[in-house]
Amino acid sequence: MAEIVLDTVTKTYPGITSPAVDALSLEIKAGSVVTLLGPSGCGKTTTLRLIAGFERPDAGSISIGEATVAGPTAWVPPERRGVGMVFQEHALFPHLDVASNVGFNLPRAERAERVAETLELVDLAGYDRRMPHELSGGQQQRVALARALAARPLVVLLDEPFASLDADLRVHMRAEVRRILAEAGTTAVFVSHDQSDALAISDTIVVMRDGRIEQVGSPREIYQFPHTRFVAEFVGRTNLLAGRIGEDGDSVVTDIGVAPCRHTHDLPPGTPVTVSVRADSLELDAEGPLRGVVREATYTGRSIDAMVEIQLADGGTADVLVHAHPEQVITCGDEVRFRVLPEFVAVIGEGGPG
Amino acid sequence: MKATLARIRARAWNGQPPDGRLSVVAALIAIVMAMPVAYVVWRSAFAGVDRWARLLDTRVPGLLWSTVSLAVGVTAIAVALGVALAWLVHRTDLPGQRIWRWTLALPLAIPPYVGAIAYIVVLGPRGWVRDWLGAPPPVSIYSFAGALFVLAVFTYPYVFLVTGAALSRMGRAHEEAARSLGLGPLGVLRRITLPMLRSAIGAGAVLVILYVLSDFGAVATLRYTTFTSAIYYQMGGFDTLSATVLSVVLIALTLLVLGAETFGRRRARFHPSGAPRPADLVELGGWRWTALGFVVAVLTISVLLPVGVLVYWSVIGVAEGALDARFWGYALNTAQVAGGAALVSMVAALPVVYLRSRHASLASAALERLAYAGYALPGVIVALGLIFFGIRYLPWLYNTAGMISLAYVVRFLPQAMQSTGSSLALVSPRIDEAARVSGLSPLAVIARVITPLVRPGLLAGGALVFVSSIKELPATLLLRPAGFDTLAVRVWVEASESVYYLAAPAALVIVAFSVLPLKWLLDRY
Repeated sequence: MAEIVLDTVTKTYPGITSPAVDALSLEIKAGSVVTLLGPSGCGKTTTLRLIAGFERPDAGSISIGEATVAGPTAWVPPERRGVGMVFQEHALFPHLDVASNVGFNLPRAERAERVAETLELVDLAGYDRRMPHELSGGQQQRVALARALAARPLVVLLDEPFASLDADLRVHMRAEVRRILAEAGTTAVFVSHDQSDALAISDTIVVMRDGRIEQVGSPREIYQFPHTRFVAEFVGRTNLLAGRIGEDGDSVVTDIGVAPCRHTHDLPPGTPVTVSVRADSLELDAEGPLRGVVREATYTGRSIDAMVEIQLADGGTADVLVHAHPEQVITCGDEVRFRVLPEFVAVIGEGGPG
Repeated sequence: MKATLARIRARAWNGQPPDGRLSVVAALIAIVMAMPVAYVVWRSAFAGVDRWARLLDTRVPGLLWSTVSLAVGVTAIAVALGVALAWLVHRTDLPGQRIWRWTLALPLAIPPYVGAIAYIVVLGPRGWVRDWLGAPPPVSIYSFAGALFVLAVFTYPYVFLVTGAALSRMGRAHEEAARSLGLGPLGVLRRITLPMLRSAIGAGAVLVILYVLSDFGAVATLRYTTFTSAIYYQMGGFDTLSATVLSVVLIALTLLVLGAETFGRRRARFHPSGAPRPADLVELGGWRWTALGFVVAVLTISVLLPVGVLVYWSVIGVAEGALDARFWGYALNTAQVAGGAALVSMVAALPVVYLRSRHASLASAALERLAYAGYALPGVIVALGLIFFGIRYLPWLYNTAGMISLAYVVRFLPQAMQSTGSSLALVSPRIDEAARVSGLSPLAVIARVITPLVRPGLLAGGALVFVSSIKELPATLLLRPAGFDTLAVRVWVEASESVYYLAAPAALVIVAFSVLPLKWLLDRY
């Protein structure tokens, strides 16, 4: 069952010619965690604010649960939409303590009980009387989440909730927020420009660009099988190569050789295509069929990002990005051999890389 | 048709129309603020061609000359004093800099009509100077020179404060660059520092000009006729239509100055980069004591002597029983009308400021401008407009103390708006949105979340309006019901009959109260 439905929603800000959100249609399932992912200016925040009711669509309609909340004849203001929201800078009411923030505008009868329950859920029992400025960044985040969940909203909207946290806390809070949302059982819509947040936290990722949806899929689908060049380059690092579908239909023939590929969109053999080969799918292997010379190697701790120059059949060269296990020792000028793993090779469209 | 209206509305509000009730309330407030001035302009259309022609031929040229020459002269002196003092206090090794920085701003706490009274006591035909020297000063205080002197002495702090603030923000990078290119200290001052200060000096000068155009108390006390006093006496003679004609000319003059200021600001804009290191101090050497003497002399003329006069006569007054039941009655009246104005201003400022901050758009900017009408234009004009308007549409309010409070609100609401606005700027709009998704309507957000958060700004704004209202003279004189006296009115009445021992205690109370908001002003600059 769809909890949120956006039907050809368009929003143009006054004085700007191109729409911020352009005839966007999207269904979000009840209980799912969805991330709107994209670079700044792609319309993801506008989409979230349209769902919340802080912006009015110029065209199209939005429904939440059973009710149409925005449309040509319908308008429900934010306070009556039954949504909860977590803001980037938390936006805790600075003059109210934790309990008053979480219990803000709850019916008096159930307030105390609900505040205690929700603070328990976010692991902040006993912090009732603290003021927001007395809390750490992670604690403020939990209070903001508790406040958003306290009224049992149909949907929780989270606008870049991790952007203001530092790296360590961020990884920890992703897992925490995931747990809390699962326990609360609410539908959640995130906005993020950070692919690792999106991959870690979502059931479904919606990649957006210029106010339109580029691709919708599970984190795995988005990462392994990007449908477009934009998605391939925005989510993770990749090599884009020209090629054509192999004779068996389960491989692609590229300048660097034949690569196994399980994601060919069932295009007929021989069709010229662009192929995304993730750096992770190039595995160093002394027996591998491909060989090249290391031009650059960056040790990141989790892997070694190596730029390898490959001799092509036609005599030219191509640079490809290879992720190597960090225990290996790679220096510039080394000759290396590697092979291609099929899982991260995807055809992203017909024609050569533009 | 309906679609066109909706599009115009969306355009005016930048696509974010606010809550309907909120925009209606804010629009009403803005209209009330602009109404008195608008009504004066409207009424002037009924003055008739003959009256217009006669006034333009006979009165206006003389008034233009007396007003503009006074404004230009005062501004020239105020700029010279203000810039020199600001440079000495911020850029040289003058002894006691910290003390001078705030004491030199103190003349702002002395309303110029009080200063004028003090100088009549000292320099008047029967003043102290005559007592000491046996003859009054060669130039009468009741003259152009007298008005020029008094107004300059009590308005130079506008230039001093604005220029000083710019000097302390300017840092030393540009000046050091000029030194490295071969300029000496005086060359730097002339070719770098002063040109970079031009917009700040201009801003200070505009404040001085606007004050001189609007001043009624000082020029009337010194019997020098400018537009404001002419309008006042025209009304005393019940020739209100002539008063509207003169008002329209004065409004045009004021708008001209405001327009020139906007134009000048657009042309010259220097952005200070980051938080600059303070500039090196110029060593005055042998000039140190001369400079100190100059500063002390200015302070004596603008603060010590006038306050000394007030204290002298207050001591006599208290001994003579000036602080009787009537005095406390005046004080109570003052507190009532000023307090009422402060309360109303605090309530009225928030909707206008909130729209401006949260729905930045053509419409909210226009409402804000309208609300500034009574602040930018002279108090006599506001009073004139309220008399017309009150007699016709608010007979239940006309001739009551409430009318005086309304005049104060019209004149000083922008002070509360500025103060509340700077508090509101510190509250993220996300706070409002968080309250909305928690189920509050737009009006409930203002009442339950925004009001407690901007309370400091609201209270400061209320205090500013209160103090300005205590000082206010022309609107109070014109609108008070018969027999309703405030401290300012008593100062005016007693001083005009030379009963200084009764005027001084009230004036001293006004000055004491006026020192308070000065601290707020100094914190801002």
